[in-house]
Amino acid sequence: MATTYEQRIERQNRWLVLPAAVLLVAFVLFPAGTAVWLSLTNTALNGAAALHPRFVGLSNFNRLLNDGDFWNSLWVTFVFVFGSSVVGQFVFGLFSAMALNRPVPLRQFFMAAILLPNAVPEVVAGFIWISMLSGGERSTLSHLVGLVGIPSQEWLQTMPLFMIVMVNTWRGIAFAMILMTSGLAAVPSEVYEAARIDGATDRQIFWRITLPLLRPTIFLYMLVSTVGTIAIFGLVYALTRGGPGNATEIIAIHIYNQSFVAYQLGYGSAVAVIMLGVSMLLGLLYVRVLKVQV
Amino acid sequence: MKTALLRAGISLAILAFAASAASAETIRIAEHRQARIDALNKVLPAIEKKLGVTIQVVEYPAPEKDYFSKLLTELGAGNAPDLFTANADSDVPDLVQAGYAAPITDAVKAWDGYGQLLDVAKRLSTAPDGQMYQLDTMLGVQQLYYRKDLLDAAGISTAQPKSWAELMDRIHEIKQKTGKFGLLLPAGESWGGGAFSEAFSLFIVGSKTPQLIDADGKLDLNGEGVKDVFGIYSTLVNDGLMPIDPLLGPEPWVIPKYEMFPKGDLIATTCGTWCYIYDWGSQAKIPVPNVTQTVGTWAVPNEDGSGSTVTVGGQNIWVVNAKSADVEMAKKVLLELGSVDTTVAYSANLGNIPARKDAADNADFQKLAELVPVLKDAENGTYLKSGPGFTAVSEGVAKATEAILRKQTDAAGAQKILVDYVKQVLGDDQVK
Repeated sequence: MATTYEQRIERQNRWLVLPAAVLLVAFVLFPAGTAVWLSLTNTALNGAAALHPRFVGLSNFNRLLNDGDFWNSLWVTFVFVFGSSVVGQFVFGLFSAMALNRPVPLRQFFMAAILLPNAVPEVVAGFIWISMLSGGERSTLSHLVGLVGIPSQEWLQTMPLFMIVMVNTWRGIAFAMILMTSGLAAVPSEVYEAARIDGATDRQIFWRITLPLLRPTIFLYMLVSTVGTIAIFGLVYALTRGGPGNATEIIAIHIYNQSFVAYQLGYGSAVAVIMLGVSMLLGLLYVRVLKVQV
Repeated sequence: MKTALLRAGISLAILAFAASAASAETIRIAEHRQARIDALNKVLPAIEKKLGVTIQVVEYPAPEKDYFSKLLTELGAGNAPDLFTANADSDVPDLVQAGYAAPITDAVKAWDGYGQLLDVAKRLSTAPDGQMYQLDTMLGVQQLYYRKDLLDAAGISTAQPKSWAELMDRIHEIKQKTGKFGLLLPAGESWGGGAFSEAFSLFIVGSKTPQLIDADGKLDLNGEGVKDVFGIYSTLVNDGLMPIDPLLGPEPWVIPKYEMFPKGDLIATTCGTWCYIYDWGSQAKIPVPNVTQTVGTWAVPNEDGSGSTVTVGGQNIWVVNAKSADVEMAKKVLLELGSVDTTVAYSANLGNIPARKDAADNADFQKLAELVPVLKDAENGTYLKSGPGFTAVSEGVAKATEAILRKQTDAAGAQKILVDYVKQVLGDDQVK
């Protein structure tokens, strides 16, 4: 039977998609599936369970429900994501985008200064901030706050969670600014002109025109940024290794500690599977409930 | 034309095969920390020439814990080097259970160096089933190291403390008279296995629970001695006798051992023979002048005053990868790593002592004046017997002492943290 034009096009499209599909299966679906399988076993990196792992069903999940360290890492992750991604990066990113959307002096310089942190690899950024935060009175931050009379301290010991939120905020402002800038560019200028003609103040224009029109961009940013921040590992590990104690043990570090410090691959995978579920749920929430067009 | 091409192809194939057959076999050795790598590189040319092999040193990230984690992932994947070291004797039983360690009993016992091995090294290298899966080519003798000069200046006795109570009284006296921290015990999760191998195990062997593994292979973690050891940590932390902040950060040994002790802000600490060279001696960042006169040693007293101990443990604990492409050649290289020349080279860089009697006659070893007397004492050392599950015990001690450092628990609570963690990882039936 002769194929139609549409059938030929469809077959061609399948071939075109095939390389991406192979990569997706090899680097996303297969590892995720392996992690799910591992989470149902007592596989370890060392000891008898390394040689003869057993299927243990849901006992890893039962263990983590009763594991205080797991719940602590969930809480720390929530504070980290909310503080840096949802609040810090968004607020500063939006402010930067709006401020640099106008013809201000040294605009290019400020844009470069905001974009630069994003160009620095995670671990390098972590080590840069260690040099600024540790050393007590010798740290750069202590010198700076000392100018206004605030006493020096071991910042990464006394307020570690706030510090990692601050560092991640610094690192992520650029991405938020870029997205918000593109969103602002899509807002027609006639809307602002009409609002000014009607006598709207700057505050009214921001809350009633700018923000509502930016809504799709904001929620797209929230989706990408939240899921990306949950997966952060290198930055916080370089800064604090999850310490002091477990004060900054975000979920990625908790998974690392269980899998490669305690050598419990099965249990670490169970935690990873839980976070996979949480990330997927968050993504669905943003897409479905908040009606984001992705 | 086609025939000519075919002939050329076959010739090339034969040449390639001959070339690969003629080239020396490569044995890969895992090593970490620059001082160790430098020591190994000194002796490799002689080993390569003797055995007709090429030896490739595979360098790993420096801290012990990171090195071991990376090594384990490679062992699990089947592409680890042919030879590697374990961080502590207590690591080896789990390596054996995981199938990573090849038995080396016959090769070691047939080795001409076997008769020169110190008896304690032979015992440490032999598993409970009588087989050998490790070769302890070097030993670390651990005890308490103190600033003799500062105690003399403050008029504080430097006599050997006879019991834990007397030791703690001495530490309180140091704090009272000098205002300095009296004693550091490695503790906390950042210190990795050091909390267990460089502090906890030194005191437990002199406690009411001198061994943690019973005849059935179960872990005796509910013993009174375990709680008492945590009690020492608790007193040191709550009475302000040891620094805490550095132990909560990354590389926690740097500030107390490499800075505070040489500067005199910390008076005593547990340590091993390596400290005379690596921490405070010729290889140190801040050396202590005349270290053997300035820094004295105390054996760790028994809890009840019945005696004192120095703890001996393996330092270069070589293991042959069971999945090595050529296990027999790897064993030959292993035995060369146990030679006098190799162990003395490591001694010079790291300060541990060769586990060989004939090292005493070696001219290069005799130049290491700090270590010569220790070699004689090594045979009298004691050690904690290890067994499967000790990796979890080590991690549990790190977690328990972390909680003490953060003043979240007392000695009994710390013991509970240890027991609960080990039960969680190994199962309830593994803990007595």
